[in-house]
Amino acid sequence: MSLSPVLLAGFVLRPLPPVLLQPALDLAMSLMRRRHSDVFERLDTLENASFLIDPVDLPFCFALRLGPPAPRLSAVGTADDMESPSAALRGPLLVLIRLLEGRMDGDAAFFSRDLAVEGDMEAVLTLRNAVDSGGIDLAEDLLSLFGPLNGPARRALGVAEALFARAERDLETVRAAFVAPVEGRCDTQTARLRDLEDNLADLRTRMPRANVSGTRAAKHGAARL
Amino acid sequence: MSRTPLELVCPAGTPGALRAAVDAGADVVYLGFRDETNARNFPGLNFSRPELRDGLAYAHERGCRIYVAVNTFATAGNPGPWHRAVDDAAELGADALILADIGLLDYARRRHPETRRHLSVQASASNPTAIAYYHETFGVQRVVLPRVLTVTEIARLNAQIPVETEVFAFGGMCVMAEGRCALSAYATGRSPNMNGVCSPASHVRYEQGVGGMVSRLGRFTINEFPDGEPAGYPTLCKGRFVTGGCAGYLFEEPTSLDASAVLSELMAAGVRALKIEGRQRGRAYIAEVVAAFRRAVDAAARGDPVPPLGLGGMTEGLRKTTGAYTKTWR
Repeated sequence: MSLSPVLLAGFVLRPLPPVLLQPALDLAMSLMRRRHSDVFERLDTLENASFLIDPVDLPFCFALRLGPPAPRLSAVGTADDMESPSAALRGPLLVLIRLLEGRMDGDAAFFSRDLAVEGDMEAVLTLRNAVDSGGIDLAEDLLSLFGPLNGPARRALGVAEALFARAERDLETVRAAFVAPVEGRCDTQTARLRDLEDNLADLRTRMPRANVSGTRAAKHGAARL
Repeated sequence: MSRTPLELVCPAGTPGALRAAVDAGADVVYLGFRDETNARNFPGLNFSRPELRDGLAYAHERGCRIYVAVNTFATAGNPGPWHRAVDDAAELGADALILADIGLLDYARRRHPETRRHLSVQASASNPTAIAYYHETFGVQRVVLPRVLTVTEIARLNAQIPVETEVFAFGGMCVMAEGRCALSAYATGRSPNMNGVCSPASHVRYEQGVGGMVSRLGRFTINEFPDGEPAGYPTLCKGRFVTGGCAGYLFEEPTSLDASAVLSELMAAGVRALKIEGRQRGRAYIAEVVAAFRRAVDAAARGDPVPPLGLGGMTEGLRKTTGAYTKTWR
């Protein structure tokens, strides 16, 4: 987990009960169903599946239940608060959002270990393929709610995105300053380890020769000195 | 000196991926129907008939062609779904059918002689006699070669056959002769060649342990990735097994094929088309890989050096190889 604005926001959100997010999540799901019906058509085969979606940099998780009467997204305090999900997906919030919007490849996120999955892989793949195909754009979806105020809302969103990007860069600078001494020590240790490995390899190449000469010496009755 | 560019044949598992491939510069998009008639039968993937119709319109309006893969082997006594797939693809206007089953090749030739027929890699045809047979008997006009030949062998083959060849350029590195591999079927009871999926998701499990992530396929542990180590697909051919007290890769390590370094050699060898693997991958993969290979193919056609593609983040295990193309005996 890396230092990010999301992680800091998580500390701020920690005291809030997850249930307070429910109206926003209900609105989000209703919006998704209206604007991306093709995604839910692809999910038809997963009638009763449920997913634990765990943004590892936030103090709560999301529970996505596809069962009737309609798909529902809710917030839960911890993974243990969701009973027997079909599958679990874990990763930093921004990774999960990029996957949702198709801006990041799921397999690549899995290879790099940014995304961890557990449980029913058929359900996971169906979900992944459905959302990847959907052309979801959270900003555009959100802006669609503003009707005639779309213009000002778009400008406000632009400012918010710029502030977030700035905060991300600043935090990276802070992180780099904090870890620089440790990284320096790690580099020194790595160099020492490499030297030791080279010495060991050198010794190994000499060993057989020593053994061979030792055997020859014994064969010829050489005295031990 | 300018040469005819290699045809860039790109994957799509969803309509979104198809649009991404077309927009990124694909010459051709290949895809399959949402059933076991194609070799990427993953849950939630592939195209319905209306989606294919829309995809054909989107691609054709932009000068891109669509090939439809019906490249699994029909179940004994039940050829209906495969025949319907061939009929629907041809009637909707697919530019070529990618087939492997000789019964299906015969059906396609008789029922839709005007539609091009390409031989899928699943047929694993890799010698002049086999390829000539497919050409003479079923009118096959292109062969997708298995990923087991060196560039020199491909050049020699091209000099002896009357059809075009297409080779894999990037993506999943299948180390076995395609269409012949039974490892996944042995572990799961479901065959890539019949059911259309290697390491089916229904049999895959990942478990997060104290020291890392364990991947399993059926009853087999495929790998254990320590925290921080790049991961790979849960396929037996890339499993890490313990023998003699040491853990190691028996056949191949998690890695992806990247033939960008040998594009000029492949052109000189007479190859007509490059195939990017990955119908199961997301839109982001398709957009990035297709755009990179568009640049590479155009550079090779101009006779320029192929620029670095920067696709390391898209590769299995975050590693890549030129595979058999530059194979030397060990």
